[in-house]
Amino acid sequence: MKKIQLLFICLFFITFSSCEKDDICDAATATTPKLIIEFYDILNPTIKKNVTNLAVKEINTTSSLAFTGTSKIQIPLRTKLDLTKYSLILNSTDAAIDNEDFLQFNYTRKNLFVSRACGFKTNFTLDPTLPFIKTETLIPDGYWIQNLVINTSNVTTENETHVKIYF
Amino acid sequence: MKHMSKFTFSILLILTSFFVNGQTKKTDSIPTKIQKYGIRFGADISKIAQSFYDKNYKGIEFVGDYRVTKNYYLAGELGNENTTVEDNRLNFTTKGTFLKVGFDYNSYENWLDMRNMIYLGMRYGASTFSKTLNSYKVYDTSTYFTEAPTVISGEKYDGLTSQWIEVVLGLKTEILKNIYVGFSVRMNRLLTNTKPDNFDNLYIPGFNRTYNGDFGIGFNYSVSYFLPLYKTKSVKKSITK
Repeated sequence: MKKIQLLFICLFFITFSSCEKDDICDAATATTPKLIIEFYDILNPTIKKNVTNLAVKEINTTSSLAFTGTSKIQIPLRTKLDLTKYSLILNSTDAAIDNEDFLQFNYTRKNLFVSRACGFKTNFTLDPTLPFIKTETLIPDGYWIQNLVINTSNVTTENETHVKIYF
Repeated sequence: MKHMSKFTFSILLILTSFFVNGQTKKTDSIPTKIQKYGIRFGADISKIAQSFYDKNYKGIEFVGDYRVTKNYYLAGELGNENTTVEDNRLNFTTKGTFLKVGFDYNSYENWLDMRNMIYLGMRYGASTFSKTLNSYKVYDTSTYFTEAPTVISGEKYDGLTSQWIEVVLGLKTEILKNIYVGFSVRMNRLLTNTKPDNFDNLYIPGFNRTYNGDFGIGFNYSVSYFLPLYKTKSVKKSITK
């Protein structure tokens, strides 16, 4: 009889365990990568240079991302369009010296399966002939972005720098 | 809701089984024991029931076994499932047929002419199926863009196959003459699995949901009819308890 009871306990437990809710996507899982941009000194191109009060805003989005005192930023790319256009304002808190440049990134997208919990992720490949378009504001204030180099055109991980900006 | 009713049902069945077990405690001293041999066939009623209350599920599973020796039964299941899984991030439909063959070993010593079973078994299972990815969400750790992450896909993956083994634990109780109800739990392990490109076999007909790794869990509630073909009489030398 003991054996039978043990069996029933097993059956009971197994049936009950099917009530557990699905697992959630682990934060350590590599999902849709952000674009990694690193800033370098134009006068000394091997030296990283920190940005001050850099406001980054996608042109159709109301909120902006703020970065200061860092040489490396991460910005998301739109996963439903083949381009993302950002406004980058350096020294955005001071109207006297602020400078706005526009950068449009052109790319192709690929949606890749990750897992049941995470769903899919989007990987990007920057366009080989025209990976970015740099434009000025309506009233030109000169470019603060003096040079831009694509370090790697495959945006698949956040562990590497995709774009280098010299200013 | 779906899980709850399965759960309630299993408790009821377990209680019923205890009740029947209670009756078997009576000792008797008739030395002869009639063993009936034959074919038992039926269906998994949980799959039929779920087909009625779950709009995302249509399935049927036929079960059968043939008593080969006193304790060994040749056993198998044949079924078809068409189910749509609506997960948080994925919505996909799986359609396919499965077949399982193997044996059951009855470890329960019956009194008199009772033919209840508490059994342990093994199955080899195989399934051929197709999958349709209806929609999915792109996982983006950035919340900067507020656009809906759902993507409508509709991509179909045909010709998928899986093979697996199952370890079965179950019981069968004769509730009316030659009518049995049974419950079994199965632990599955995948042997082969052809995965679609850029997707995964998250549900396999007959195997059920797949987890990370190759393991799975299944169960069924069967109602079956026993068709006796021949009998043997055995004389018990001693009766204990």
